[in-house]
Parts: sequence; C-alpha cells; structure tokens
Amino acid sequence: MSSSLALLAEIRQSSERRPFEVLKLAEPLLNKGTISQAGDDVWLVYEQVFLAAIDEGQIELAKAILITLQKRFSGSQRVKRLYGLVNEAAGHPGESKKLYDEIIEKDETNVLASKRIVAMLKAQGRYAQAIKELVSYLDVYANDFEGWLELAHLYLGQHMYAQAAFCIEEVILLQPANHYYHLCYAEINYTMGRLDIALKEYLRVVELSTDNVRGFYGVKLTADRILDLVKNRPKKDQLHFSLDNVPQQGTLERLSQLATERLVNAYSEANAACRTVNEQWLKE
Amino acid sequence: MSSGLVESSTTTTDQAMFLDPAIRDWVLFPITVIMVLVGVFRHQLTILMTGEPPKADIKDLRQAKALMRGQVLAQNKSYIPASAFVERKKYLCDAYENGTYLKNKASKEQNAANLMTDPKNMEVMMDGMKKQMMGIVPQTLIMGWIQFFFSGFILIKLPFPLGVRFKQMLQSGIMTPNMDVKWVSSLSWYFINLFGLRGVFSLILGGENSADGTRDMAAMSNMGAMGQQPGQPQDYNKLFLGMKDNLSIIYHEWDLDSIEQRVLVKYGKQPRLFKSARK
Repeated sequence: MSSSLALLAEIRQSSERRPFEVLKLAEPLLNKGTISQAGDDVWLVYEQVFLAAIDEGQIELAKAILITLQKRFSGSQRVKRLYGLVNEAAGHPGESKKLYDEIIEKDETNVLASKRIVAMLKAQGRYAQAIKELVSYLDVYANDFEGWLELAHLYLGQHMYAQAAFCIEEVILLQPANHYYHLCYAEINYTMGRLDIALKEYLRVVELSTDNVRGFYGVKLTADRILDLVKNRPKKDQLHFSLDNVPQQGTLERLSQLATERLVNAYSEANAACRTVNEQWLKE
Repeated sequence: MSSGLVESSTTTTDQAMFLDPAIRDWVLFPITVIMVLVGVFRHQLTILMTGEPPKADIKDLRQAKALMRGQVLAQNKSYIPASAFVERKKYLCDAYENGTYLKNKASKEQNAANLMTDPKNMEVMMDGMKKQMMGIVPQTLIMGWIQFFFSGFILIKLPFPLGVRFKQMLQSGIMTPNMDVKWVSSLSWYFINLFGLRGVFSLILGGENSADGTRDMAAMSNMGAMGQQPGQPQDYNKLFLGMKDNLSIIYHEWDLDSIEQRVLVKYGKQPRLFKSARK
C-alpha cells in the first residue's frame, strides 16, 4: 500500500499530468481508507486525486473528495479554487468566475486563480478578453515564460504575428537554451516574411537540437527562397527584410545542400511511402 | 576505553580526582535537559508569535519583477535580434525613468528614510526584532543561572587526552593552571551544548526549526554591519535608475551573427576555422 503512496508522491513532485494512473493507484487507497497512512501528506494526496478525477471527468468522485477537504480546511482559498474547478468541469463557468474573483479580491497575488480566469475565457472562445486578462497578468509577472508562451499562442490564433513574435522573444529571453522556442520564433518570422531572421533562427534550432527534422525543413525552405530572391532581385518594397542582411550565395547553397542531405538521412530508416514523399518535396 | 584508563593511571596519577555522582545527577543532566527544553519552548513560541506571513502586495511584486526584467534583458540580450533588443531597451529605460513600475509614483522623489514610515516595512522589521529578542533572552538567562549556581564545577572527564590549547575552551570559569585539560567545567559544558544541540533539535523538531541559539549569535554580530539585511526596505527608484544606466550602456551583439558557419562546422561541412569569430 505504501508503495502506491510513494508512486503518487513521485508523480506529484514531477508535476506530471497522468490522471489515469493516479486514479488507478488511489482507488484502493480511498476504498480501504489506507490513504491516512500518508500522514501529513494526506491532504496533498486528496488534492492530487481530485485533480485527476476532474481530468478524467469523474465529477462525483471529485465532489466527494472536495467535501472531505472542505471539512478540514474551511475558508481556505486553495479549496475554493478547487470548487471553481469542479464548477468548470460540470459546465457552470459563471459560478467558477465568481469564485475566482472572490479569491483574487481577498488576495490579489493569487497566481493560480488569475491563470484559471484566462484559461476559462480561452475555453469559452472569448479570445480578445483572454488576451486582455493575460496582458494585465504579465504586466505584473513579467518573468512567467509560460504566460508569455500562452499569450503568443492566443495572438497566433488571431493572426497577430508581430505581437506573437514579441511574446516569443520574451520567452527566448527567459529560456534561451530551449530549441522549441527558437523554432516557434523562426516559424513566426517566416510567416511574416522576415526570412533573414527566420533562417538564422532555424539554424539555431538545428544547432541546439541535432538533426531536428522540422528545423532542417525550415532551413531548406528559407535558404531556397532567399536564393531565389537573390537571383531575381525583386523590387525593394515587395520584401519584408533587406537582402543585405543575408549570408553570401555560396553559404546559402551549402546550407540548402546540408539540409537536403540531413533530411534524406533522417528518412532513410522510414518506410518507402514516407521516403518518396520526402524526396519529391526536396526535388521541387 | 581501556587505553584511556591506562593513560590516566600512568601520566596523571597526581590528579586522581573523583567526581561526586550527585554532580552528574544534579548539574550535568539538568543543564542538558533544561537547554533542550528551552530550545523546544523557543521553537513553539516562535511558531506562536510568527503568525501569518505578511500578505504580498501586488504592486510590490510588480515593482520587483520589473527590475528582474531589466536584469534578464541585460543577461540574455545576445539571444534576440538587435531590433528586438533596442525596442525593449528603449521601453524599459523610459519606464524606469518615468517610474512606470514604481509602487508609489508620488514617492519618486522620496528618500530612503521615508520608506520606514511604510507600515508594512515597519511590521517586517518588528518581526525580525521579536525573533532576535526571543533568541537572546533565554540564552542570557541560562548563562546567568549557570554562572550563579555552578561556577567552578567540574562536570565530566573526557576519555581522551587533549592539548593545553583546549584549556580555555573546556575549562572556562576555572582558574586552575595545572589541572588536566580532560576535565570540563560547567560553563564550558553550557557552550558545548549551545553549539552541539543543533543535531538533537533537528531530530526532535525537524530540519526547519527555530530552537537553535547559534544563529542568533551570528545575527547579532552582523547587527553592527547593518548591510543588506533581509526585509530591509529598498529604494526602488534608485535601483530602477541604476538599472537604466546599466541598460543604456550595453553593447548588443546577436549570438546568431555567425550561426551559418557554426552550423556548417557542426555538421562537418567546413573545417573549424572560425573559432575566433565566435564570441
């Protein structure tokens, strides 16, 4: 029995989201009442099982746990937030909003409640309001890179690329070594037509993460498009960047060649259908 | 153990002293027990008096995080393109200059002395004082008690020989120059307990306890310096202006300026010639 408690503690500490396993581990504990063996941690286990139950849609179980928690911690803001979650899961967002607002009124630094409000607005499809809330949240918590990432995705949903790029820049400032954020930044810049920055950021991705396929596709696409532009010399006002900033033609050709080589290599283990699609794309 | 006995019988036959068992029962044990009890009592008292932690104010947070943002920008500036850096630098410098993020915009001209009037800062400082008082008062009382009742008592004999250098440490309060260093006086026993009971406390009360008396001693010796004490109010306007100066002289160089060569080298398409080009 204690081994399942240890497993639960492990999941809790790594903050992984594995509701199915959590419920499976916790069910015998709840039924036999051995959950109290957790000692002081028992309330954390209850909270964990509660969140898992919400994730799995077992609202009755969640409500039962919530009553136990409420008995022990009446008037706790943390339990209040859980009430908000139950209401959200049961489809009463209005009630939840009221609860979250109450929490924030009492303690305006409650990060979790502020985040729930944004998440709820997003789930309801009220993106403009979600963005507004999140912006005012980030005005205070400017070092929350996950908040910036979320805001970038909200902006992307509205096709506001310049704003999204700004948010990703903030994320990169806070987490410069994660290649995924550089990839996002590269793709946004590519979409905006700022090919010079996009190429460099794609190269950063393949530097940080060896043989990153998505990165090399980006390198290939961008390098070829810049080569095309360098050869044809379109009018200045058609471009979103200056051709003076791009590397020399020889370097571009070598980069394109390198990307082709690595992509062919990456797909050499794949099945025939995948390989032909890839080869055809590379030929174009 | 046996070697100790042999030693004492050969080298210090002239100091064959015998301690009354009553000293053990009525001095040695009481001092130890009382010190442990006082530690536990202090721990409970601290919990009682600390109460709820002061509520964080959202404006304080915003102020601190704004400063942090400047630090992050100065630190990781080379990972974003020049245009992005210049944009942020300009915005942050203006904001710092105008006090956009200051908790109390009217207090822009205020000096550090006035910060003391903020009731929240006052509370934090009072809390620290209370804790320090709680550390000092019981220790002083016990020390006075020991000096008054038991000064000059010899409490234990160590089972191993020690050099003369330890005399001051183990026989404080006893003015006998010829006594063997193995004998420990009551006042020294008190000090040994004071510094040695930390392990016992963390065993009974858990790692994060406030029963230990030595920390207060360290705090007391720091009092004179009065440097960066935790909970000391800070003049954010000054910090912001300093950060603004820092940012405005920063030279920006994009880390990706030579990325093409780096990638080509990494994937073996080019000999490693450009090492010096990379900063």
